[in-house]
Amino acid sequence: MSPKIKLSELVDQIKGTLQQRFAGEVFWITAEITNVKPQDYNRSYRFITFIEKEGNTTKAQINGVFWSSALGQIDEFEKITQQSFVNGLELTCKVRVAFNNRYGLQLEVLEIDSAYALGRIEMERQRTLERLVQENESIKLIDGQFKTFNNTLRLPTLIQHIGLITAPNSDGQRDFKKEIENNKHEYAFSVIEFLTQIQGDHAHELILQQLRLIEQQKEKFDLVVIVRGGGSQTDFKPFDEYELANYAANFPLPILTGIGHDRNTSIVDLMCFQHKTPTKVATFIIERNFEFESQIFDLKERISSRVKNLLEDASSNLKEMKRLIKSLSPSAILNRGFAIVTIDDKIITDPKSIKPNAQLKTLLKNESIYSTVTKKEINEARDI
Amino acid sequence: MKQETYSTAYAKLEKLVERIESDTLPLDELADKVKQANELILFCETKLRTIEKEVNLKIR
Repeated sequence: MSPKIKLSELVDQIKGTLQQRFAGEVFWITAEITNVKPQDYNRSYRFITFIEKEGNTTKAQINGVFWSSALGQIDEFEKITQQSFVNGLELTCKVRVAFNNRYGLQLEVLEIDSAYALGRIEMERQRTLERLVQENESIKLIDGQFKTFNNTLRLPTLIQHIGLITAPNSDGQRDFKKEIENNKHEYAFSVIEFLTQIQGDHAHELILQQLRLIEQQKEKFDLVVIVRGGGSQTDFKPFDEYELANYAANFPLPILTGIGHDRNTSIVDLMCFQHKTPTKVATFIIERNFEFESQIFDLKERISSRVKNLLEDASSNLKEMKRLIKSLSPSAILNRGFAIVTIDDKIITDPKSIKPNAQLKTLLKNESIYSTVTKKEINEARDI
Repeated sequence: MKQETYSTAYAKLEKLVERIESDTLPLDELADKVKQANELILFCETKLRTIEKEVNLKIR
């Protein structure tokens, strides 16, 4: 029979054996992580599991741990790569083999290679973009700009019915709605919310589901808005996924994105109408309606200026006529030194009818002269 | 989304304004055309500030 020993003694022996073999050694490994739990701020460590898969079979699996001295590495990784530390992530890190009396065999993570992760993300991104263009006639790369079915749609002149995809109780949701509801022009909007998780493992599938839901009732909406707050926990991965990007690129309603990012542009951004932040999306929509109102205002101005001109013209025509009539009146003529010749109170316009000895009455300004014609002759041209 | 109402209103309004600005518009038609235009302007302005009916959608 094998010797009976205390558990702690056996564990100590295992630990000793492992220490002998691995003491002072560190290794760089690249492996997928799983069993990642949300960070518990009451604990100064985080447990994960490393796995290596071949197809669908797991070839190797081992527990891993970030002790407090290495926890900062996770934050650093998320900051640099804009990816969340979640299940399914492939991590390249420096580890040490350790045996803890309580937790057993573990790989202690000492350092994460964020630059490597970043390079991989970028490569993946480029691959996805190339695939989108290759597999879709509706997606084209022209002069460095992606032209898709979606981002070449005509935006409605008046935007009122908005389908909003966002995370519940998020900064993005709050910022967008606040801006829309408090718009100074008092434009009316109907915002229907399609709430979903917007970062993490399955976020892209959930966002896709919401898009499908909107598509089923697309006649009720002018456009779709996808927003997400900035914050430190930024995860771009869902918005770089092929399926979501592809669906968005071919979506029948214009999609406006405000996924809160200054440094990076996600693939979904490239396929749609990108606005950097939720507030900026809202401002854009309000401005769009303001443009419409300005056009109406311009027409209004044109009408009133036309009416004003017409009335002014009519009144000045009237004045002109009055002046003309006045200047042609007999008294005006007499004032200017002309005379009116009458015979028997009839105005003579043709002097031929005046015979010698005729009795004339000549009207001048203020007075009339009675006379008898003694002589008549034809005027020489120079006389007048 | 249906946009006929306000875009038709706007198109009509544009036509009316052109008519009002044209030299061939008899003066006695002016008042009527201006009245029509003002109604369309009011319609568009109201449209911007009201949602016709609250859409009740089934989410999920």
